[in-house]
Amino acid sequence: MKEYQVCNRCIMDTSDSEITFDEYGVCNHCRNFDENIRPRWFPNEQGQQMLLSIVEKIKQENKNNDYDCIIGLSGGVDSSFLAYKAVQMGLRLLAVHVDAGWNSEIAVRNIENICKKLNIDLYTHVVDWEEVAEVQRAFLLSGVANQDTPQDHAFFAGLYNYAVKNNVKYVLSGLNFATEGILPASWGYMAMDLKQVEGIYDRFGRKPLKTFPKVSLFKYLVYYPYIKGMKVIAPLNYMPYDKDEAIKIMAKEFSWQYYGGKHFESRFTKFFQAYYLPAKFGYDKRRAHLSSLIVSGQLTRQEALIEIEKELYPIEQLQEDKEYVLKKLDLTTQEFDEIMKSPNKTFRDYPSNHYLLEKLRTIRGLLKK
Amino acid sequence: MYLRPRVIPCLLLKNNGLVKTVKFKDPRYLGDPINAVRIFNEKYVDELAILDIVATKEKRSPNLELLSRIAAEAFMPMCYGGGISTLDEVKIILGMGFEKVVINTSAVKNPMLIQEASGHFGSQSIVVSIDVKKNFFGKYRAYINCGEVATDYDPAELARKVEQLGAGEIFLNSIDKDGTMSGYDLGLIKKVSESVGIPVIACGGARNVDDLSMALHNGKADAMAAGSMFVYYGKHKAVLITFPNEEELIKAGVFT
Ligand SMILES: [Zn+2]
Repeated sequence: MKEYQVCNRCIMDTSDSEITFDEYGVCNHCRNFDENIRPRWFPNEQGQQMLLSIVEKIKQENKNNDYDCIIGLSGGVDSSFLAYKAVQMGLRLLAVHVDAGWNSEIAVRNIENICKKLNIDLYTHVVDWEEVAEVQRAFLLSGVANQDTPQDHAFFAGLYNYAVKNNVKYVLSGLNFATEGILPASWGYMAMDLKQVEGIYDRFGRKPLKTFPKVSLFKYLVYYPYIKGMKVIAPLNYMPYDKDEAIKIMAKEFSWQYYGGKHFESRFTKFFQAYYLPAKFGYDKRRAHLSSLIVSGQLTRQEALIEIEKELYPIEQLQEDKEYVLKKLDLTTQEFDEIMKSPNKTFRDYPSNHYLLEKLRTIRGLLKK
Repeated sequence: MYLRPRVIPCLLLKNNGLVKTVKFKDPRYLGDPINAVRIFNEKYVDELAILDIVATKEKRSPNLELLSRIAAEAFMPMCYGGGISTLDEVKIILGMGFEKVVINTSAVKNPMLIQEASGHFGSQSIVVSIDVKKNFFGKYRAYINCGEVATDYDPAELARKVEQLGAGEIFLNSIDKDGTMSGYDLGLIKKVSESVGIPVIACGGARNVDDLSMALHNGKADAMAAGSMFVYYGKHKAVLITFPNEEELIKAGVFT
């Protein structure tokens, strides 16, 4: 058993089994941020210029089309703020919302307010709920940590497939280094790996999937970008992005409302991040999120240490949400307790393209040098 | 305090999913009914109507398992319709917590059911829905069996008849207007609501709060139900659950 240790710079700790510390007690995530992420992050004048020229190019290329680009809208902070910024820059957006059956009232109200006030057209892809539930049920039975994979895969597959089908080349993504710069690999797994989704579903699913949105790694990494010309842009990495500030602006501009907690706009994600992960694996995703804010300079380490001590999930709310989640996923309390008690599994225990992805990463790394 | 006529989202069930039809046809999948009910709950809607649009056609009784899960999720008054043909079913559904049941086909085929049910459970819990389509000659006709079978009844005449049998409310659905978002059939609503003393809920065609107001003031409806308006957004008909706030309803003259 490793001795407990917290990074001296961020607040990542040994709950990440793969964490390493240097002689100053600074963790590998901080180092990775400095070496690999910071060079690609432009929250400054330079970023503004870069973004401006990207936007000009998008507008130029799409002047004969109805829309310049597609934006995935969940009602959460990142995608909402991105929509606001993109409209300010004069981009004609088509917002695409992928509904996987877990929307909260706040999420749908945020989407409505954004689209109305910013005058954005909206398209919704409603995923067959019974299939989403089956895939999520299968993932829970598999005992892996990456329970966000079914929803995330459906979101991104739905978004990318729609963009390519409708010939919209640019997809705006709310991904950003300012709030997501640190995320330990051992805590999750790449949701785009269809082999993992299907591998786990083959073992634990109960009926064939007919309409669940899927995108293979080949399509995602090769066919869509190189043959179909789809480009995913993350504009939030080319501007200063302060979450608290963003929330204030959005509340004022279009009555946007915070739902408390990163990605808690989905009822499932909340239950998964605030209960399943900490209780079964000892992972507290807030730790990675707060650490991201520290290294991106939005929060002091002291503030983060106070924040992480706050109660993660008030017990009455946990009970209510647990009942709701289990009922929706057709699991009994006994079945769920069994899952919580069973040995923890990792994505490596099931089929995946992890090996291939690692190879690709190495090749890309070599090519860069 | 404002006078608040009821504004009722009308949700359609097909198998275990929520759908929206156009003229009672082409059901489009809208997602999980449980989550939708939960969202409407949090939007504080006054009342919700849940109608199973295939039960009668499939010659089966209501999906009680799904209904009990829906009932457990909802805090607002709800009515259920679709496939109800016995007193026992009425009893079970009211027992789950639904405030009212909606009866359509059986009201024509077995009028005694309305009389017995209202006698047992009170008129206030028995709603008769009348699905209306104009026939070849432009005359209104009441339809049964999920809008597939025409009866000889004029809707106002059928409304009067079920009122006498003890129905507490009429749910008046225009098949021609359903899902078109082109405004209510005000003439139809007026004709029926002027022929009976019991409340008439108008349904079919609403696109915005002004339409609700027109059904109330011009059509003389007592309550307004709508489907598309509460589940679709914008020109791409994006699925997005919404409900007007008090301010909008006051401004449109629905609350006065
Ligand atoms: Zn660190």
